[in-house]
Amino acid sequence: MTISAEIQAKAAEWLTSGDVACVVGYERGTHGRTRPAFIYQGEDVARLIFDKTCTHNLTTYLPQLFNDGSLMKATHKLAPDASIAIITKPCDIRAINVLIGENQVSRERLKVIGVVCEGILDGAGKRAFVECEPIYTYQRRCRSCSERVPLVYDFLIGESVSPELVQEEENLRGIQDLTTSERAKYWLAQFDRCIRCYACRQVCPLCNCPACLYERDDSLWVGMGFGVDEKRTFHLGRAFHLAGRCVGCDECERVCPMGLPISLLNRRLAQEIETMFGYRPGIKPAFSPLTSILQQEQGIP
Amino acid sequence: MTMITRSALFRWLDEMAEELPLIAPSYVEGILLYRQVSKSSEVAMARERPVLSPKEVFFPSTEVLFTINKNGDKLRLNETLPVKEQVVFGVKACDARGLSSLDAMFIDTAPADPYYAAQRKLTTVIGMKCKEMGETCFCTELGLSPDDPSGVDISLAEFEEGFDVQVMTQKGLDLLNRYLQDGADFYIDRSPLSGCTDATQPTRVVLPEAKTFPLLFEDAMWDEVAERCLSCRICAYACPTCRCFDIRDEELPASAGERRFERIRCWDSCTRNAYRRTAGGHDPRAGKGERLRNRIYCKYYYFPRRYGQLSCTGCGRCIDLCPVNIDITEILRRIVEVRQFP
Repeated sequence: MTISAEIQAKAAEWLTSGDVACVVGYERGTHGRTRPAFIYQGEDVARLIFDKTCTHNLTTYLPQLFNDGSLMKATHKLAPDASIAIITKPCDIRAINVLIGENQVSRERLKVIGVVCEGILDGAGKRAFVECEPIYTYQRRCRSCSERVPLVYDFLIGESVSPELVQEEENLRGIQDLTTSERAKYWLAQFDRCIRCYACRQVCPLCNCPACLYERDDSLWVGMGFGVDEKRTFHLGRAFHLAGRCVGCDECERVCPMGLPISLLNRRLAQEIETMFGYRPGIKPAFSPLTSILQQEQGIP
Repeated sequence: MTMITRSALFRWLDEMAEELPLIAPSYVEGILLYRQVSKSSEVAMARERPVLSPKEVFFPSTEVLFTINKNGDKLRLNETLPVKEQVVFGVKACDARGLSSLDAMFIDTAPADPYYAAQRKLTTVIGMKCKEMGETCFCTELGLSPDDPSGVDISLAEFEEGFDVQVMTQKGLDLLNRYLQDGADFYIDRSPLSGCTDATQPTRVVLPEAKTFPLLFEDAMWDEVAERCLSCRICAYACPTCRCFDIRDEELPASAGERRFERIRCWDSCTRNAYRRTAGGHDPRAGKGERLRNRIYCKYYYFPRRYGQLSCTGCGRCIDLCPVNIDITEILRRIVEVRQFP
């Protein structure tokens, strides 16, 4: 049975039995592009797919469901305590752990279909892929991924992991070797391109504040203008707020229409936190030590 | 047919870039954008469409409308209208249509917007015809053609031997005469015009009848099509016709005893959260389905009713850039389907 068929079978089983009211998964959209899909009925499960183009981190929809309930209740009148199933890759599951640790998601109402992942293709979600196309490249995050099997799941699909995948060491030297002023110049040029579309923030499962600090009506911290100062403040501030929480799904960078290397900031901070606190976000459902350190000061090196 | 040689075009661009701001498609770290260039070699003669439309030249993402100086009881306002003459090069037919849609609202309907109108007047637009349509393009479905020269001051078409020059306005002729000498730069070409080749199947679009829209205002389809929407603003900011803005006064640094402010106007988008939130907290477009409906209705119903033309050019940017494949043409097809088989 293919992975897609296994997903469809499980989704149909859970939807029909009433174990879950909705399955959040992937489907093929227009122009051959893969996109998120919300399935409510057993007869619709044929839409569900899973392959190397399933790049989206679907956990970004979970806080909308579990917190304010705005999602799906509108259309499908889900009961307030309805359970939901989600198709996840190993990286996405780390986001679920952080969300559980931060009380944004109720584990009891969540059924996780974990898929063993060989990597997602570069360009996934943005174009069609055809079988006969010669060589694909995997996304950067996948080339350096050490976790092919989901850490948490209610139902696991897939077993072996493709052995020929070469794991790349995290390499940020290119940027770190620059002098401070060169690095500032590099980043300001990057931030300058930003158009404040906030796609990076909106796609992020962990950017789930009801009102963003950088978008207050009173311009208290950041003005409304599209100047480089405002944009720098937003991007650096966002990176700090994600430090110790970001699970490295790189969706922020994938969706950026202006090609900002946003994940570099997150990856650099993740390195720092691993060195300082020996902590990797999302391995367990826990609160980040960076936000809880006042209670556990013995953890400071 | 009047042709200009390749070298003459590049010399022309070089000369213009020396004298006035020349804005042209240019690659910035692999991203094709309209940027001011200093020489012709920075201009990308690319077939792909720039990520953002030339809208930002006339309706910038941030525009200072005026500054406010407050000194004791004295208040001084300084209007900051655009004053620079400039040239935009390489505008495609869809984006030229986008400008005409912006004109309809900002200039042709009283009161005219002085900022947009001044920038339009000061800017000469040089168009470049498309040779083929992109994967997500659907301009032909909206009655436009990739090699339509209208809406620009000079329209160019690229050929092996050089560029066909079609002067569309007096402004275009003036610019041409300022830089190019007849005879030396032009020659008459005899090879037949090969025209625009349509390499891909155009995306099929069925425009719903106007009367359909009010009937579907409360339809359940909106929450469904918007389910995966992230409420970001890519679609609106990349769009050549979206022109929503927000206005705010922001304080500037000032010397002692004085206060300075500027009134700025910035891009806004109906797809974002709290777009329609009013004082007191009420938000008539609180759901993302309601906001996506607004985006569609604006383009194909509200705007045409008020300004007599669509607020969509079929450029396909929103389809290409949407992180979750919300496809405006799929929604249009859906509207027609829902209407036929409710």
